[in-house]
Amino acid sequence: MRLKKPIISSAGVFALVALAACGGGSGSTSTTQDTFVPNAGQAGKAIENRDAPAPEIPGATKGGTISVLSANGLTTMDPSEAYYTNTLNILEDLVTRSLTQYVYDPEQKQMILIPDLATNTGTPNKDYTQWTYTIRDGVKYEDGTPVTAEDVAYGIKRSFDRDTFPGGAAYSNDYFLDGDKYKGPYKSGDNYRGVVVKGMTLTLKMARPFPDMPYYGAFPSMGPIPQKGSDPADYAQHPLATGPYKFDKYEPGTSLTLVKNDQWDPMTDPGRHQYADGYDFKFTELSKQIDSTILADSGDGQTTLTYDNLLSADYQKAKSEAADRLILGSAPCTYMWTPDYREVTDKRVRLAVGYAYPYQDAWTAGGEIIGVTRSPGTAILTPGVPGRPDYNPLETEPGQSDPEKAKQLLADAGYKPGEYELKFLFATDDPVSVAIKDQLVSGLEKAGFKATPVASTVNEIPTLRGDPNYRKINVRSWGWCSDWPSGGSWFQPLFGSNGSNDYAEFSEPSVDAEIKRIGTLPLEEQAAAYGKLDETIMTKYYPGANTGYTGVAMLHGSKIGGFVNDSVLGAPTFKDIYVKQ
Amino acid sequence: MTIADLETLSAGEPSAEPSTGGPNKTIHGKSPTRIALERLRQDKVAVISAVIVAFFVLIAIFAPLIAKLWGVKPDGASASEFVLNGLPRIGPPNFGFIWSHPFGVDPQTGNDLFARWLYGARLSLGISLTATVLTTVIGIAIGLVAGFSRGSLDRVISFFIDFFLAFPFLLGALALVPIINHKFSDKPGTLLWAQIGALIFVLTILGWMPLARLIRGQVLSLREREFVQSAQVIGVPTRQILFKELLPNMIAPIIISISLSLPGFVAAEALLSFLGIGITGAPSWGQTINNASNYYDIYPLYLWPPVIGVAVLVLTLNLLGDSIRDAFDPKTRR
Repeated sequence: MRLKKPIISSAGVFALVALAACGGGSGSTSTTQDTFVPNAGQAGKAIENRDAPAPEIPGATKGGTISVLSANGLTTMDPSEAYYTNTLNILEDLVTRSLTQYVYDPEQKQMILIPDLATNTGTPNKDYTQWTYTIRDGVKYEDGTPVTAEDVAYGIKRSFDRDTFPGGAAYSNDYFLDGDKYKGPYKSGDNYRGVVVKGMTLTLKMARPFPDMPYYGAFPSMGPIPQKGSDPADYAQHPLATGPYKFDKYEPGTSLTLVKNDQWDPMTDPGRHQYADGYDFKFTELSKQIDSTILADSGDGQTTLTYDNLLSADYQKAKSEAADRLILGSAPCTYMWTPDYREVTDKRVRLAVGYAYPYQDAWTAGGEIIGVTRSPGTAILTPGVPGRPDYNPLETEPGQSDPEKAKQLLADAGYKPGEYELKFLFATDDPVSVAIKDQLVSGLEKAGFKATPVASTVNEIPTLRGDPNYRKINVRSWGWCSDWPSGGSWFQPLFGSNGSNDYAEFSEPSVDAEIKRIGTLPLEEQAAAYGKLDETIMTKYYPGANTGYTGVAMLHGSKIGGFVNDSVLGAPTFKDIYVKQ
Repeated sequence: MTIADLETLSAGEPSAEPSTGGPNKTIHGKSPTRIALERLRQDKVAVISAVIVAFFVLIAIFAPLIAKLWGVKPDGASASEFVLNGLPRIGPPNFGFIWSHPFGVDPQTGNDLFARWLYGARLSLGISLTATVLTTVIGIAIGLVAGFSRGSLDRVISFFIDFFLAFPFLLGALALVPIINHKFSDKPGTLLWAQIGALIFVLTILGWMPLARLIRGQVLSLREREFVQSAQVIGVPTRQILFKELLPNMIAPIIISISLSLPGFVAAEALLSFLGIGITGAPSWGQTINNASNYYDIYPLYLWPPVIGVAVLVLTLNLLGDSIRDAFDPKTRR
């Protein structure tokens, strides 16, 4: 599939084009199983305070250079704006440090949040409107300058600038004090009362309760950026490294070479390792070529890995020939296909959409490996999010269609077969989108709908779909990836009235009130309350069909060790990866 | 038509060779076309090529009928019924050959590849033929005008011929086709026709020059001949001179040009579709080759039929074109 545009890790909304789902899988010999358990609730502790240095990975050896191949280029590498899976993955794991970080915990077999630059994951006040962090001593930039709390404060201030960094995460603007008014150091000056520096201590003030701050602290934008030499025009070309590796040569769209950062001190870092001598990223490679190189596993292919998903055509081969080098796991995205809630007001019709949607056909035509890169979905929250409820809003097995049931529901609602029209977008310039469209049309017509695909292009679709006044369509296809494993970032934007990403145009006063009430609950009760809300929305209102969760199927060479799926991003755990000597 | 007789006499010599067989009892005039056809009939390569080309033409014309008789459809298959994880559930490569889907099924959409191959032949030949007809008409018209008009008009037209010849075909196609397609991208009904139109337009606009130049050269030499000059002297209208005196004398180069540009267009259509700037809304060989290139190692049956289709069609059309040229122009006989 040529469709492999970079995936926005969070608040990412995709077109019909998709990658990935979940599935059971195995790590390499030295790593443990990263098995996806459907509907697994919260296991273990997701947040833990740990001391530096990071525990050694059993069997890890030093030396060697790791090649990474990808079909996609990198978007901006400026820490304040990086917001795609691949850029976040490279920056967070290898180059830049921030307040907190995720590491893979082999005992719990899941990603956990631990401190990074800060000595702990954050100390909140009683109502989570103020967070205090103490920055570690002895952390240096790649040029040897010590990292100060002022630098971290400057980095945080930079994250408010939506004009200079339009593609970055907007949580600073949403939650921080004066976040709507302060526009970053370039526009509003350095004076911002939301970040107070005292010695090595940072106090962050919020406009409203923000219990998820420790998770947000793992973003590269919540890390140090020197005031001098960080001009946004060229900082993305070479962000100053605080992590174990630094930029050597970077040609956007072609290659990135990372070498060891000798100023990185493992005694200050509770999460990262510096096993390999360097990394050699090559971008815009052909997917088929990437698969063949790594599957062949000879020469440099043995020390090569990719964070791209395997082509579905190569899946059988990889499973039979290289099962121990195929990393399967979950990625944090849910896809939905939602009728316009303002127009499709009859719940029976929306349920009929859920029964009519040709799940298997659409996934197959989309090139998904069913059960791996895409698996059937039920709840809105992805598997692994604490508090995620286990229920099924439909009477069919998840991922199975029932045209007869859809017809029956339409008849109950008073529509003859072929009478109710569903209008949805597809991209004529993307063969995958066209193939999915064909499957949707035949599936919907089989179930008694009248299907009207509306032609558009890959570039136009995000704009048209995001415009609530574009009424040529009455069904929207979209996906949502969580930025961190908590329900907090899902419901207000997706199902709140006037939510920023309310593609269903869903609006129910009771749901709005519940979202507001959960925000005021103690943190421990929030997860379960969000889970309950998830179930209420899907069973009481059924805004539309859940078209599956994403997952990853990544390949690596036989000499790569320590490769596990980082399920927070759906990407490799670069922090632990080494070359077997 | 005096010159035609002259040509007959000169071209008649080889026809008196023993190869023509039976003795000519009475000497009677034969048109150069008839003589060429007689020679063609004796050229084994030409006959075999013509039969194969005719086979493809029949496939193209009767594609829907053949598909219906076989019980296959080029689209509308339910993907998950035929495909699992990017490989067909039935037939090669994982299972044995089956007659119901002789060319296998598309490992993405589950559509039957035999039906798509048949329709691909139809599209390929249809576009190539249309482009050939258009380039021929344009080439003849421009060549005639350029050659017959002296002075500035000839120079202007010659400049444009050189201009378009200098224009790199692939670059032009890559730039033009997406622009045209984008204009129609939100109108699915017209998009397919826009794509076909854009492809024909590009093939035509970048393909008419060689014939125009050829015709212009021919006209330049013919217009100095006595029969043209006498026609001019007695006041025959220019139109009549062009179409009645000059054109019939250029049948040979025109037919040769047609027979040689047709395979070029078949290949160009496949190439453009392979590059993703051709037809996307209908089955096309180039598009299938493009999709199948990701499967060459595990599912070769996906790739071979369209590759063989293009290769055989282009090869036979070229051989036939060569034979036609030889038949019309005995001096280049092999």
